[in-house]
Formats: sequence, C-alpha cells, structure tokens
Amino acid sequence: MDPQPEPVSYICGDCGMENTLKQGDVIQCRECGYRILYKKRTRRIVQYEAR
Amino acid sequence: MSGKDKNLHNMSESESEQEGVDKEGIEWIMNLPDVPMKLPPHVELQRTRVECKADAPIHTDTIQYSGAFASMGFDNSLRLDNFRNNFKIEVIDLKEDDIEFDMIGIDPALANAFRRILISEVPTMAIEKVLFANNTSIVQDEVLAHRLGLVPIRVDPRLFKYSDKDAPNENNTIVFRLHACCERGKPRLTVTSKALTWLPNGSEFPLVSDKSVSNSKPKTYTSFSCSQNTLSKEFSNNPIGPKDSDIILARLGPGQEIELEAHAVKGMGKTHAKWSPVATAWYRMLPEVVLMEEIEDELAEELEKKCPVNVFDIEDIAGKKRATVARPRDCTLCRECIRGDAWEKRVALRRVKDHFIFKIESTGALPPEVLFTEAVKILEDKCERLIAELS
Amino acid sequence: MEHGSFTDETKSTFSVADEDHTLANTLRYTLNQDPRVTFCGYSIPHPSDNRVNIRVQTTGDPAREVLKDACQNLMVVCQHVRNTFDKAVLDVKLTNPVRDINIK
Repeated sequence: MDPQPEPVSYICGDCGMENTLKQGDVIQCRECGYRILYKKRTRRIVQYEAR
Repeated sequence: MSGKDKNLHNMSESESEQEGVDKEGIEWIMNLPDVPMKLPPHVELQRTRVECKADAPIHTDTIQYSGAFASMGFDNSLRLDNFRNNFKIEVIDLKEDDIEFDMIGIDPALANAFRRILISEVPTMAIEKVLFANNTSIVQDEVLAHRLGLVPIRVDPRLFKYSDKDAPNENNTIVFRLHACCERGKPRLTVTSKALTWLPNGSEFPLVSDKSVSNSKPKTYTSFSCSQNTLSKEFSNNPIGPKDSDIILARLGPGQEIELEAHAVKGMGKTHAKWSPVATAWYRMLPEVVLMEEIEDELAEELEKKCPVNVFDIEDIAGKKRATVARPRDCTLCRECIRGDAWEKRVALRRVKDHFIFKIESTGALPPEVLFTEAVKILEDKCERLIAELS
Repeated sequence: MEHGSFTDETKSTFSVADEDHTLANTLRYTLNQDPRVTFCGYSIPHPSDNRVNIRVQTTGDPAREVLKDACQNLMVVCQHVRNTFDKAVLDVKLTNPVRDINIK
C-alpha cells in the first residue's frame, strides 16, 4: 500500500465532468451527482502495429 | 547449338507451303505483319491465337519448347535479336496515377512476372507503428492503427532503407503526428488524412523508462541524428505527407480527442498489402474479332444488336448493309455474338497470345511509369542474384 | 543449393531460396526456349517455404552453365523491355507535355 494514495481522475458517465477522487471518497460526480464514473484513459503511450 | 539446330534449317521450306485449311479468315491472319510465314496456317493460328469457342476457349497454352515444331522445320527457340526486332511497347494513355500500354511480342511468363513484381515486390513506405498518447474516440486504437497503415504516403521509397533490426533513424523511418480534438459544444469533427503532419526531426514522445538521464535532450522513440529536411532537397520543397488529403480516419464527437504518432517504414506488398505500390496492375490479351464471311443486311443488323459493347458497325455500300469490326479492343469476349444457329461459323473470336494490354494504377508514391521500370529492374536483380549464387 | 548427381552434371535440380513463381516461371520459359535443354520444370515443395526447385536436364552441356545462360538471357530481355518502355513513355511525354490531359 502506498503511504499517500494518489488521487485518480474519473469522468462522469452523465455530464462528462472530470472528478478527482481519493481513497474513501464518495463515488459521485461533484457536478451532477451521477454515480457512474469512468476511469480516465492513461497518457502512457500504447504502441500498435498498423496491420 | 548442336546438330539439332542445323536440322531445323535444312528442312525444306516447301513443307510449310502446304495448303492452308481453308477460309479467308486465316489468310487475313497470315497477312498480319507479326506472323512469320513458316508454319502451316492452321498450326500458326494455334500457336499465336487463343480461339474462343461457344463452349470454351481452345489453344490456350503457349508453346515454349524450342523443338516443338522441329518436324515442320520451324525453329521455336528464343532468338534474342528476333525478340529485339519484334518487341514493341505502345503507350495508350498516361495520367498522373494510371498508365495503359500495349506490350507486344512477349511471353505471358514475363508479362506475368512484371505484374506479380508490381503488386508484391516493389517497395513503398507505409505506416507500420502507431503510438497512441490519447484516443477517446469511438474508433478503437487497433482499428485506427490499421486504417492509418493503409493511407498511401507520397514519398519516393528509394530514398529510404529497410529498417530490419536497426533502431528507427532518419534513413528508415518517417514520423507523422496527429492531434485532433473536438471541443465541447462544437459539432462533430471529421478527422482526415490531412491532419497527419510530418515531423522531420523524428518522434516527439519521450521514452519514460530512463528518467535519471536528465542531460541535454530527452530520449524519444526514434533516434534521428539530423532533420530529414537536410537529407534531400525534395523533402524541403515538397514536404512528405499522405498522397490524398481527404481520407477519413475517424469522426470525433464533442469532447473526444486523438493524439498519436505514426511511424512509416519501407516494406513490400508481399508482407502486407499496405506496402503495395499499385491499387492494381493487370493485363489482358488483345481481343481479335474476325468475320469469316460477308455479313449483310438483316444478319448485319442482328450482329450489331447482339454485341453489348458495340464492337460492330454497319457500312453502307451501294445500298447494301455490311457488318464491319470497328472496335475489337472493346470486345470483352462475352461470346454473345457467336451464340445461336450458325453464328460460330460466321464470327471468330480470338485473343492474340503475345499482345498484352497492360494497365497499372499507382497508389501515388511513385508515378506508374517509374513503377514499371522498377519492376523490370527487380527481375534483373533476381537474375543477377541467381547468377552470383551459381558461380 | 544445387542437388544433382556428382557424376552427371547434365542433370541437376537447383533449389533457390526466397524465390517464387515470378522468377521460376520466367526461367522455365527461357530454359525451354534453349535448344540445349531436354527437360526443364520447377516446383514449390511446400507453400509455406520460400523456396523453389528448378530441374534442368540438357543434351550435354553442364546444367549449371545452361541455367546461368538462361539468367543472362533473361537479363538482356529485361534490359530491352526497359529501354523500349522508357523510349515509348518519353515519346508520349514529349508529344503531350501536360499530364492529366484526360482529366474531366
């Protein structure tokens, strides 16, 4: 376990608002209260073969 | 050359003057300039023409064996000076990306070799690796990567090397960047190949693995030692990019974004069709339509109507209508004109075995006439390689 | 790459790697046109192997030399095709210097 869990970005399934949640936070959009949040795509590079 | 060869020439010429089968059609063929007057006409016809009969074509093979007609005093071996005298190329149509030409006096073995090489062995550059930094569009990464791979790139592949196992550098890799974003509240955005921008200095994405080395430039996915602009004058005058700027790659909804880098390398069509320099390259043998008898009046009109591609015309001579073959090149050999009753006796449909109508449609990396010369060079290289291996 | 009997050099099978019908069929054609060749043919033993076997039997000359001559002939033919083609294209370009004449 990390000593300080990093905040993770989520995207609201309804309004598309970006939310940053820490461990223990309520899973809910701050803007609209929607409870389905999607994890944001990583910026890490993914390589594909164009075939 | 042995005694066999001498025999060929000592044989009496009179044998070949045997009476021809019959009919004017054959005489007409014999008067064509490219037919040597050596074999009996019916054999000559079999040797030089494919005949399309109502049920099936006959005499479709080419007779290759040098002594095939030895008993008739005809030498079938390849004489290079003979080939030189008879071989002809006539360019019918030349456009930016297409060429149509007639190749006359060559064996299908060679014509087919050129076609096969054009499709699968003339190299081009094509996107092979796609590095995604972000893709929130509904087109999945692998699908988008595949689409990018198929985009033809306008660049001379002869200026580049195969990358094989070398690290990507300025001599074997072309890097494109694509960054498209559809902002919230805006209408949908169509991303086309125009959005691919060339990066002459190579990749801009840093390699994350070694953070410790913080001197000078961060390491990227390519190791260019200089800008590609300095490699060739062509590049700076005419920057590398996709051949067509209107190929749709993806459509973005509001809030969606694509950010990627595409690395193009040199390859051949036999590895993957994206490297094929031609959309298609094909040939057909010249159709030959011969009227075996005068076709007049109602029959002539019937014949003209029978043909779906209008090969025949009607001549008016002193009130008499006579059918003529006006556009034999358009004939698709659908055999509609030899269907029914006695038509097979009146019309002969043939193909000339050594006359090829060759068509090359380039995808745009190289002009079609350059592609053909490249293909012939590749066949020469193959021979050279074999000679080297045999010595 | 040559498999033949060591006593009779007039009959040989040549096994060529990294080639296919493109070269083998054109060579078969040129070899068959050579009066010294009594038999010539080729086969691809397995479609996933990149290899062709070319069989050459001659009237007396070494098969290896005859095959080499066939390659040489083929190269001469190719060079002639290229020259003829370049000339034909040049002619067309000179007569109508503007490209895309047939564009709508």
